[in-house]
Amino acid sequence: MDDLKEQIEQLQAENNLSKSIHDVQKTIDLLTAARAKIARDPQMAPVTLAKLQAPVQKSIEAANNDLKKVHKGLGAYGKALDKKFKDKPLPAAENDALSSHPQLINRAIAMHLLREGQFSVASTFIEEANAHPPQPEPTPGTPNPYQQDSEWEKDLASGTFNSKELQHQFADMYHILHELRQQRNLAPAIQWARERTEKLEARGSNLEFELCRLQFVCYFVGRDEEGMMMEDSAHGPLRAWAYARSEFGPFQARYGREVQQLMGAMAFWENVDDSPYRRYFYNDSAWEEVATSFTREFCSLLGLSADSPLYIAATAGAIALPTLLKLQNIMKEKRTEWTTQNELPVEIPLPPSYHFHSIFVCPVSKEQSTDQNPPMMMPCGHVIAQESLEKLSKGGRFKCPYCPGESHQRDAKKVFL
Amino acid sequence: MAELTTTKLNAESHLLLDQPLLRMPYELSRRNFKNAQRYLEREPSTLVTSLQTLTRSSATSTSSDAEDTLSTLDAMLAKMQTLKRKLEGLHEEEVKIHASAAARISHLQDLYNVQSLVDVKYDEWSRTRLSRLLVDYLLRSGYSASAAALAQEKGIEELVDVDAFVACQRVQRSLREGRRTGEGLMWCSEHKQGLKKVGSQLEFELRFQQYIELVRQGHEGGEKGVGGNGKLVEARLHAKRYLSGNGDMELMGKAAGLLAYRPWDPVEPYASLYADSRWDHLASLFLSTHHTLYSLPPRPLLHIALSAGLSALKTPSCHSQYTSSSANASSSTTAVCPICSTELNELARNVPYAHHTKSIVENDPVVLPNGRVYGRERLQTFNDKIGTEKGWVRDPVDGVNGESWKESEVRKVFIM
Repeated sequence: MDDLKEQIEQLQAENNLSKSIHDVQKTIDLLTAARAKIARDPQMAPVTLAKLQAPVQKSIEAANNDLKKVHKGLGAYGKALDKKFKDKPLPAAENDALSSHPQLINRAIAMHLLREGQFSVASTFIEEANAHPPQPEPTPGTPNPYQQDSEWEKDLASGTFNSKELQHQFADMYHILHELRQQRNLAPAIQWARERTEKLEARGSNLEFELCRLQFVCYFVGRDEEGMMMEDSAHGPLRAWAYARSEFGPFQARYGREVQQLMGAMAFWENVDDSPYRRYFYNDSAWEEVATSFTREFCSLLGLSADSPLYIAATAGAIALPTLLKLQNIMKEKRTEWTTQNELPVEIPLPPSYHFHSIFVCPVSKEQSTDQNPPMMMPCGHVIAQESLEKLSKGGRFKCPYCPGESHQRDAKKVFL
Repeated sequence: MAELTTTKLNAESHLLLDQPLLRMPYELSRRNFKNAQRYLEREPSTLVTSLQTLTRSSATSTSSDAEDTLSTLDAMLAKMQTLKRKLEGLHEEEVKIHASAAARISHLQDLYNVQSLVDVKYDEWSRTRLSRLLVDYLLRSGYSASAAALAQEKGIEELVDVDAFVACQRVQRSLREGRRTGEGLMWCSEHKQGLKKVGSQLEFELRFQQYIELVRQGHEGGEKGVGGNGKLVEARLHAKRYLSGNGDMELMGKAAGLLAYRPWDPVEPYASLYADSRWDHLASLFLSTHHTLYSLPPRPLLHIALSAGLSALKTPSCHSQYTSSSANASSSTTAVCPICSTELNELARNVPYAHHTKSIVENDPVVLPNGRVYGRERLQTFNDKIGTEKGWVRDPVDGVNGESWKESEVRKVFIM
């Protein structure tokens, strides 16, 4: 990398066209001077012109010589590039399953832009994509991509992809997040949560209570609704108390303990700093936590993941590529092909945060469980895949491969991971 | 045995997707240099010879020719001024290209300072990369306005080649939609040397198409009785000039056959030569030639990254008819899997799923009477949050209104 940097700096500083331009300018100067001289003294024209020959030729040669240096510099840079990427071919287009679904990619991009809050780019994109719908190309997995039957693709193809609705939703989200993070204003978030109390509760989310608790804390330490500091700090706890009385009622049943703690803090209103309640009141990360949990709940209610899937998938792809490339090379060498079309032939190590679902690999057959071959739990609590179970039991009683427990195939129970 | 998870980042091998990022400005600056070279070779040498003839003629002539001498000098000056202007234009371009190359190198350099995949810095870097990939995809699909807007909003104009792609799309559209060969041929003459090097047939194909069009006009004109023969003669001359050097006698035979068969005669292979689809073929040929010449991969980089990423992330659960216990949208204790999220779900249907050799489950898994498996801790957290009565549990997938069981009915499960 340093080599490349050096070369480009050299190109920027020295080996560029500026010198040639300088030499061309010199030629122009020579010609202009000669012209002036001839205009003044036409008699001397032949001499002047004769004298002009050599310098002009020289400056032109110089201009061409300057080019040689540029050429050399570029060549060196090119060599450095070749060296850098010697063992790295351009990514090949094999295993490309996506060209047959450009509509889906476009939709994913549109949603990505919307969820990242880039509304103007998104609307430009949707306009352009609708004006020039992409051409699907056949791929091994989908040899005939021209018959679209999925609802979404039809939606997008006919231009009815409901981007307005989605845009509206995300615009809301960004408004609320902006108020939360920048203005320290909880009101829009609380209102949003209150409108969805039941849904949130069923999901086991305490977002609404967390928001209200933060509002209580705000009042307590002496901020008003807009997040501004109030003049009279002793007034704070009183306002917080009033707020608690009017708003905490519905939380009593589920968050009784937390509400009691907040009330207990009232007793220390003059020196909360030294009290056991300190952590509720001086917690700087509280805002960020609430904002993150708000984003997650918001997206989940729309059935979307909190982080952009496009981002996660592209990053995972970049992490996976070196492994896949190695695999490709090995397969080319050994002239083999994948034996299973629907499973990758190698394991790709990803950071733990990229694991979302639990994975069950049958300890007997070493195969991943699928809908057709689900994990089955034997009465002893051990789990193996259904196919392994069938093979082991042959319809009768059999011993668990992991403990002395004996059971019958019909006693095994399907489990969901 | 391979590692199951990793957080180590090896920048050297991680830069697979980024070669075109540096190749493109390199090719551009080479092209730029070639142009400068052409100008500097042609103009000054004519200047020198004309200066020599001028000197000679002025030596023999009388002073009355002084006016002529001056005007010749003026003409030379004007020529040199244009040359300088052209060079300055190229230099400006050069400075821009070098600056973007330097910016790209320092962008890639940033990755070398990151050691871990879970580092926030990697996150940032990867987001920039995604924006780059998106712009690349948009440009290739011909959505230039969106691409430019996105690049601007993200502040990555130096990392993407909007102008180069806009020029490429213009030629491509002129072929596919405009049915014109002019822009394509112009591009060919600008890239003559590169095309020769890779042995491209693009120019020949374009000339061939011109010939076909001339013949078509000739036949159509002949049908209407307006100067059809003139066009056919023109076509023959065109073929003589541009096509005969090709050496492919079979193709030449076909070309000659076109003179006999009219566009509406259902005779192969002439009908397919007359067909409109040839324009699409030309447009694709142009695109692939353009991409090879500029060291660009034939498919958008986004496709490559996404195909690999979808497979690496996909599990059999993602398209299962049963709700997964470990990642679903119905409870707040789990994150929604990106493959299950609406954006990518359909797209991932056709890719293979990731290979695993070991089960990955939460710590201390337990099973509910309905067969759902959870980590004990998460089950507890969820039930605390929804306020289930003590001694009872509910299934997170069914939520607060679902069935509840006694805690004693929750069994330990062993997953190897």
